[in-house]
Amino acid sequence: MEETNETICIGIDLGTSRSSISASNGERHVVDSYVGWPLDMVARKLVKKTVLVGREALDARSMLDLRRPLERGVIKDGSAKDEEAVQELLRHLISLIGIKHKSKTRGKVRAVVGVPAEAFRVSRQRLRSAMDGVADSVMLVSEPFAVAYGLEALLHAMIIDIGAGTADFCVMQGRYPTEADQRTLPNAGDSIDERLLKLMQDRHPEAQVSIHMIRDWKEKWSFVGEPKSRVIVTVPAKGKATEFDITDEMRAACESILPPISETLIDLLSRVEPEYQDQVRNNIILAGGSSLISGLPDAIEKACSELGGGRVTIVNDPIFAGSDGGLSIARDASSADWDKLSL
Amino acid sequence: MENNVAEAKLRILREAIRSNVEVVRKGRVKPKPLLKPTPPLWLWGSLLVASVTYLAVPSLVVSRGKEPSSKISGDTTSAAPIDAQVMQAAVPLSTPARLNRAVLPLTVKRIVIDPGHGGKQHGAISESGVSEKDITLDIALRLRRLMENGSLEVLMTRDADETLGLEKRVAFANAHKADLFVSIHVNWMEPREIRPLETYYVGATNDPAVIKLASIENRESGYSLADYRRLLDKIYLDTRRDESHRLATAINSELYQSLSLINPELENRGVKMAPFAVLIGTEMPAVLAEVFCLSNEDDVKLLTNADYREKIAQALFRGILSYTNNLNGPEKKVAELWKKPTKPSVSE
Repeated sequence: MEETNETICIGIDLGTSRSSISASNGERHVVDSYVGWPLDMVARKLVKKTVLVGREALDARSMLDLRRPLERGVIKDGSAKDEEAVQELLRHLISLIGIKHKSKTRGKVRAVVGVPAEAFRVSRQRLRSAMDGVADSVMLVSEPFAVAYGLEALLHAMIIDIGAGTADFCVMQGRYPTEADQRTLPNAGDSIDERLLKLMQDRHPEAQVSIHMIRDWKEKWSFVGEPKSRVIVTVPAKGKATEFDITDEMRAACESILPPISETLIDLLSRVEPEYQDQVRNNIILAGGSSLISGLPDAIEKACSELGGGRVTIVNDPIFAGSDGGLSIARDASSADWDKLSL
Repeated sequence: MENNVAEAKLRILREAIRSNVEVVRKGRVKPKPLLKPTPPLWLWGSLLVASVTYLAVPSLVVSRGKEPSSKISGDTTSAAPIDAQVMQAAVPLSTPARLNRAVLPLTVKRIVIDPGHGGKQHGAISESGVSEKDITLDIALRLRRLMENGSLEVLMTRDADETLGLEKRVAFANAHKADLFVSIHVNWMEPREIRPLETYYVGATNDPAVIKLASIENRESGYSLADYRRLLDKIYLDTRRDESHRLATAINSELYQSLSLINPELENRGVKMAPFAVLIGTEMPAVLAEVFCLSNEDDVKLLTNADYREKIAQALFRGILSYTNNLNGPEKKVAELWKKPTKPSVSE
């Protein structure tokens, strides 16, 4: 893609597991939120790079100091390396849309970064500083709000953005959501992984599994309720490739997030003015990578049935809904507004 | 309908921008870029000289000529790698500078747990009669039990219901050369519907609510005005403050993640700076956690449940663990620290 000196608007969904970017030049990309540096000179020679980002980093993890810098949706604290990793991740995303870092010919970059509601609350300054040198002006918004804005679901709607690190809830009531309109739960993709790993270790102690294998299985076969087919995996056991039926473990792990999600949903609903609760209940929108768990909308509708029923839909493009929403916000904000938000 | 959506978008967008402008205004002091350019080669020589001198002169490590904490130790010859991190430490010798934690290895061997109030000093009291002093002691004892499986030496300023001034608590921690100090308190706030969770570390504040809270918590200090001035002079010991901030962040994060699942109304007010006497006087990274709010009777009901108090202790434990695990990089595992317990207290 050719770089121009025109202003470019971007929306970024900074996720624990995956981060996506949508740009006004039409580019859209998603990367795994991993950053790694070669461990030593030998590794540097092999990977031929000083830093690796995304799947490339994950694949070469044995040679890297690998970081997943966003934990439970917030930049991990206590390590400058993790902050550096966030910046590398952001730079990589920007480079994917054809913007060269520190290029004199590049135009102004106006970025809306959607982050989990919890990060939005506790680490806005750190996120802004991580964007320094990456964009010229930055606006931070909570992830579910970005989704709602992109879908124009601004009134009587509930967005549940279930990512890897957190499940973020946001009730849209025709205004910019306050803290009272939002909730963050740590029960999301990562907690499913941890649960599945533990179940595997408990029930199949001979199976040799890693958290990365668990994540891959979840992405392929996660479900709640009834499975489409049995979940059979092949893993080494005492060095020999062995098949294991992990259908029950997968179900138990995936369903472990349902009770807290249902409780939070009901709690947030109960705070909506009574005359609008019915409308909100019938306009529940799921977004985020973990919304792709098979059977999840039905399970949440079932939870709503005791409240009088509800309708749950999944956004058309769960991976890019957040970054597309961020891009909409970036485009709608005026130049004068962006000037106030310059870095 | 289309106009309504457009109007709603405009209104909401305006609010989003206003919220972001506030963040920009608060953080106008621009942080340094995280990725630093590599300095030219001719700089390396002078950097080496400056950094070795820096490490060899303790009075320059912290401001106002104060000696660094005895827990911050390092070999001046081996701990002076010429890398970008030393760049931060190498400053003109006349300028006291912030100590970069990467320059000297930090260790945690001894922790002092401080249950707030005690004896005649009840601290906050709920409408139903629950005293802060009882709750803090109960949580502290639970925390000590959790930590007793490791090699960290765990000391408590009090392990019974006894009156103890803040000065004595500070002196105890300093005399035992503790590496960390964790003071446990319970809040009382208006309006009573709120359920705040706050974790403090040392520093100045302009927040009237925090000033008020500090004045209440400092009431039983036993310090004179002159003592306070002397103590306040130490606020700018940046290294200790940075480490205190990290510890406070780790603890606050664990407390909120754990407790908000049971207590969804819990409002995370995050990590804040405040001039609490126990934070000013102690010479090691120190935090004061307001783990609960006795002014909210719904909270009090939760607090009277032993399981909930155990959850608070567990969260504090995990916060401390998380801090120590990240102290010198991921390779330093807390398993190295957690081996055997000890438990003297001020009263012994």
